[in-house]
Amino acid sequence: MAALKAARRLDPPRLRIIGLAVLMSAVWIGMGFRLFTVQVVHAAEYTQQGIDQRVREEKLQPTRGRILDRNGDPLALSIDGVTLYAVPQELDDPVWVAQQVAILTGANVDRLRSGLADAIADGTGFVYLARQLDPEVAQAVIDADIGGVYSVKEPKRMYPTGQVGAQVVGVADIDGNGLEGLERVYDDVLVGTAGRLLYERGARGGPNIPQGPVEKIPAIPGDDLVTTIDTPLQFAATEACQKAVDTTGAASCWVVAYQPETGEILALTGVPSYDPVARTVVGGGTFSNAVVREQYEPGSTQKLITLAAALETGAVDLDTVIGNVGDKIEINEGACRSDDDDIRGCFGDSEKHETRDMTVQEIFTRSSNVGTIKIASLLPEGAIDLYMQRFGYGRPTGVDFNGEASGQISVDPSCSTCLASAAIGYSVAVTPLQLAAAYGAVANDGVWVEPHLVSDVGGDRVDVESKQVISENTARVLRILLEKVVEEGTGTEAQVSGYTVGGKTGTSSKLLPDGTYADDDNIASFVGMAPIDDPKVVVAVVLDSPDFSLRFGGLAAAPVFSEVMQTALQRMGVTPDAVPG
Amino acid sequence: MTARPLRSAQPVRTGFRVVGGRSSRRPNVGPFVAFTIVVVASMLGIVLARTSLDAGAFELADIGRRIAEEQERSQLLQLEVAELSSPTRIGPLAEELGLVYPEERQVLFVEGLDDTPDLMVESDAGVAMGGQP
Repeated sequence: MAALKAARRLDPPRLRIIGLAVLMSAVWIGMGFRLFTVQVVHAAEYTQQGIDQRVREEKLQPTRGRILDRNGDPLALSIDGVTLYAVPQELDDPVWVAQQVAILTGANVDRLRSGLADAIADGTGFVYLARQLDPEVAQAVIDADIGGVYSVKEPKRMYPTGQVGAQVVGVADIDGNGLEGLERVYDDVLVGTAGRLLYERGARGGPNIPQGPVEKIPAIPGDDLVTTIDTPLQFAATEACQKAVDTTGAASCWVVAYQPETGEILALTGVPSYDPVARTVVGGGTFSNAVVREQYEPGSTQKLITLAAALETGAVDLDTVIGNVGDKIEINEGACRSDDDDIRGCFGDSEKHETRDMTVQEIFTRSSNVGTIKIASLLPEGAIDLYMQRFGYGRPTGVDFNGEASGQISVDPSCSTCLASAAIGYSVAVTPLQLAAAYGAVANDGVWVEPHLVSDVGGDRVDVESKQVISENTARVLRILLEKVVEEGTGTEAQVSGYTVGGKTGTSSKLLPDGTYADDDNIASFVGMAPIDDPKVVVAVVLDSPDFSLRFGGLAAAPVFSEVMQTALQRMGVTPDAVPG
Repeated sequence: MTARPLRSAQPVRTGFRVVGGRSSRRPNVGPFVAFTIVVVASMLGIVLARTSLDAGAFELADIGRRIAEEQERSQLLQLEVAELSSPTRIGPLAEELGLVYPEERQVLFVEGLDDTPDLMVESDAGVAMGGQP
């Protein structure tokens, strides 16, 4: 009976049911196990994989801050360019792709072809085809829908004033890193902070999934810089310089216009220069800025400092008569006997004249080297050195421009000729900006003000240093002397119609590598100010190697000064003070 | 032999009577229908709300894209204005059209005014007028 029961229990249908139940149970257990593995054991890993598949992260590029001139006109600004890139592995025919992109963008086909070939050979997954294109140009490629070619927006730096503003603004590289000038000095404030965008995207790069999780950290744009530069004046100065280079055959011409009361640089330019958009030099120029970096022996423009020291120390006054001022003076005995010997210390004037007594005023107006050396000999020991330092020589002015030269002061007490040299602008090296700032102190009643190019960073005013370097009275007396130079001395070409002008010419022989001075290679300069009673603008002009017949500062540099000063006074709205009766 | 009563072959019909089914009462489907309606309505509502939100999101994305386009356009226009108003463009153009820089600053005295230049008014043309009112 029991056997019958067991047989009945294990009959085929029942067996099948049991087998099915076991199988189902196993399946459920397996599924449960798998579920547990997926949902619990590897939950974090799979969650991350899922996020990685559908969530994209995009870096939000900040817009680089603008660089504006004092009138609010942009000298540099960024626009959105479009960069085209390729994933070489996705290209069916790289040669065809290179040809198509070259036709549509004007890029060099050989460069594209070799770029793609190199990327394929290296197994690189990304290669630039063309960067920072105009959106319309790039759109033609995007519309062509070439497989494996993609686009991305990328900021492009533009310089609307081109070469005119280049010497101040400088240049940033293609990735938006400041390389030169204000672009470099203020790179950290211009660059801004990158943002981040996280969003869900459909498979194969489909559209963004609306309502999907989105995290956006907006990019913070860079701060704008407001410079002290007046673009029309900068342009006029560049044009005047170019004209001077053309007419005098000079290798280069450099100009700086400076407001003595505020230290604001209104124009700082020169030729030859460079094109900041193409990032190429023009006309044999360099990327360097000579006004800030090139130091040279100032020649007679230095006599203002010598005289300032003489007046301040009470060694002379305007009417002091210096006796026996000839056209040559020997510091060391026999120095003027022959040019061929090794005896140094013969100084002379540029033109021969008879020996006579001269007042200090006459010596300065006629730019007598001999007379100035005689005045310097009346100074207490170390006075010239001290006043050069007070006027900012031998150290950077602190202008907000990279790579500023400090100049050189080398009045060595053991050097018998150095004092005489320094008095007339040799054995001393300055930058055009140092000289302009020194003359600025005379213009500003004896107060030296740190020159600067940026007045406002992101809405914050920039503070500048100032200090009294000579007395107000000495500054006034020096201005009278400077006015005489332009009225009746060596600087008559610097006159500006309608204004009283004061200034000083400078002509210095260039130092040769062997330590001697060139006979036929000079630096011509002029530094001056107007209106002379209360100067509002100081302009310094330096020409390197003008034609020998035009080597004098009064001939080569003074006309440039006159043009620049006239424009500067008009641009600043300075009332004429020398109206003919 | 024992006599026993004959079983009746046919039950005796005693007339109609109510025969009970599985349930003698009608099922109460009201709550189920209501629940179903609520569920379906909720689902429809959710779908509609979601669709509406998605439509809004698409619209928002479209507006965002248009803002970006307009900003791009604004940047390009700013650049164009800057390039067009730059002296580097205007200077040579003015020269081509025959404009020249004044030879020197000209000072005009307004008739009837004192010659003393206490009042100087500068015009845009680089001409200064002097005199005392």
